[in-house]
Amino acid sequence: MKRLALALALLGAMINQAAAQGGPRVEPPAGGLIGPTLGGSVDSSLPPSVPAQTGTPDLVVDLSVPRVSITSAFQGESILLFGMFDPPGEIVVVVAGPAARETVQRKQRVFGLWLNTGRQPFDDVPAYYYIAASQPLQRLLARGSGEILSLEDRLASIRPVAHSHRTPQQIAQFRGGLVEVKRREGLYPAAIGQVTIQAGRLFRVDLPFPSRLPEGVYEVRTYLLRDGKIVAAVSRPLPVGKVGFSAQLAGWAVHEGTLYGLGAILMALFAGWIGGAIMRRL
Amino acid sequence: MEIYLPIAEQSMNVFVLLGLGAAAGLLAGMFGVGGGFLATPLLIFVGIPPAVAVASQANQVIANSISSLQVQWRRGNVDLRMGLILLLGGMVGSTAGVSLFTYLKRIGQIDFVIAVLYVLMLSTIGLLMLFESLRTYLKRRRNPEGPRGKLHTHYLVHRLPLKLRFYKSKLYISALLPVGIGFAIGVLSAILGVGGGFVLVPAMIYILGMPTAVVIGTSNFQILFVAANVTFLQAATNGTVDVVLALLLILGGVIGAPVGSRLAAKLPGVALRGLMAILILLVASELLTELLRTPGSLYSLSPREVVP
Repeated sequence: MKRLALALALLGAMINQAAAQGGPRVEPPAGGLIGPTLGGSVDSSLPPSVPAQTGTPDLVVDLSVPRVSITSAFQGESILLFGMFDPPGEIVVVVAGPAARETVQRKQRVFGLWLNTGRQPFDDVPAYYYIAASQPLQRLLARGSGEILSLEDRLASIRPVAHSHRTPQQIAQFRGGLVEVKRREGLYPAAIGQVTIQAGRLFRVDLPFPSRLPEGVYEVRTYLLRDGKIVAAVSRPLPVGKVGFSAQLAGWAVHEGTLYGLGAILMALFAGWIGGAIMRRL
Repeated sequence: MEIYLPIAEQSMNVFVLLGLGAAAGLLAGMFGVGGGFLATPLLIFVGIPPAVAVASQANQVIANSISSLQVQWRRGNVDLRMGLILLLGGMVGSTAGVSLFTYLKRIGQIDFVIAVLYVLMLSTIGLLMLFESLRTYLKRRRNPEGPRGKLHTHYLVHRLPLKLRFYKSKLYISALLPVGIGFAIGVLSAILGVGGGFVLVPAMIYILGMPTAVVIGTSNFQILFVAANVTFLQAATNGTVDVVLALLLILGGVIGAPVGSRLAAKLPGVALRGLMAILILLVASELLTELLRTPGSLYSLSPREVVP
């Protein structure tokens, strides 16, 4: 336990140092871009003397921010996951967005015009899926550590809804279309992220979140593997949500549609009346 | 300067949106019709989801018509009885239109239907306007003070039942006709987010035979309430009204409209209509190209169901 505390203090110092350099990301190309804001929140949310809340003695994990806030200036964000473990071992991180039904649409040419002709809903589709590992994933998973699923394995388990007339090949095509769209939006990053291990026991990885990020509570699971077996796992929820005035408006639009509609009408009446009156004076 | 549109769920340049509103206002000021039928396709071009563009545009139409109605009402240019009968059809039509919109959105065809309807509508209006201005131009060159032809002949109008007297319009016609016209405009308004003035005004003049003096005021009266109904229903059932977007369009329109009416007073009408016709046809052909072009990806996701 004493060694753990020492290492954590070391880790805190490491992060502070990174923040002072202009950002927690050590990789040179993107470092300075989002530095000040992220660095600031690292300082406030994680005083170096306080150990991370979640963890078992073998594995301690924390995130640079407690939540992803979609503000009116949100352009995507990179979040630092860091922690330490009792060596030896390898680290795998799996981030999954909230699962829900997604409907994939396929376009076809009809009389020269492109329109959506096929629809296939799937249940239990994660809004976002990202895996990072400290070693090539195939090698780590070779011995079948059942719980950790690659994107392909995870998507193999999503359930197509209804449509008994579709052959498995057609379902597979729609599944491929789903991955294609999600990739394009940066929600299913194609590359496996690299977890870097320092001093044999500290690890860190950047989690990339794109600008059009679905809201909800994401799950960040960190696994410690030894000889291909999971010996420890830590799960942390990561809420993603809109904040500020835009969140208020979007919330009203969804939950108070009637009131929102009346408000929109009053706003337009007022603006049109006043605007018209003013412009006629000029 | 970027601003986040909470319902469209994306950032957009403030000045692009203000400019769009101003352009629509300019047209409104020049031609006395709302610019919605050009603003909505332009919003779609800059990347606003069609369903949000249509619903937010309906919200903007309210501001546009109240501002114009203010003046018309004071001048006594509103045939209230005709307006109410039109509105009767308009309310039913727009309610049905929003239901149709909701259904099309659920089966994933709304974007396609909006695009196709706009192509049809804009190319029809554009061609009609172009021919009309060409004809006027040629006729005037040949025979500058020629007699005007008869505007309309209405036999059907006089044979339908349920006749009503419209004192202000000096008409004695069947109420079914304005109800039907109102209904059609209501459906159009709900699906395309337009006020419908550019269809309603000619319909009132050529089909109903109303005197031109009361046409603009009366159409604005009907459009105001239909647009309010569409905004309300879209917000309540589809949640697609973006008030931030609408407010920016309104602000742009407030600036554009007086400029437009001043320009219209200075420029020759025929040239203006010809120019407008070409502009409309350009937008229509751009929309058509979008429909014909092989898309980059065949797949898309329909928006996640909103679970309140």
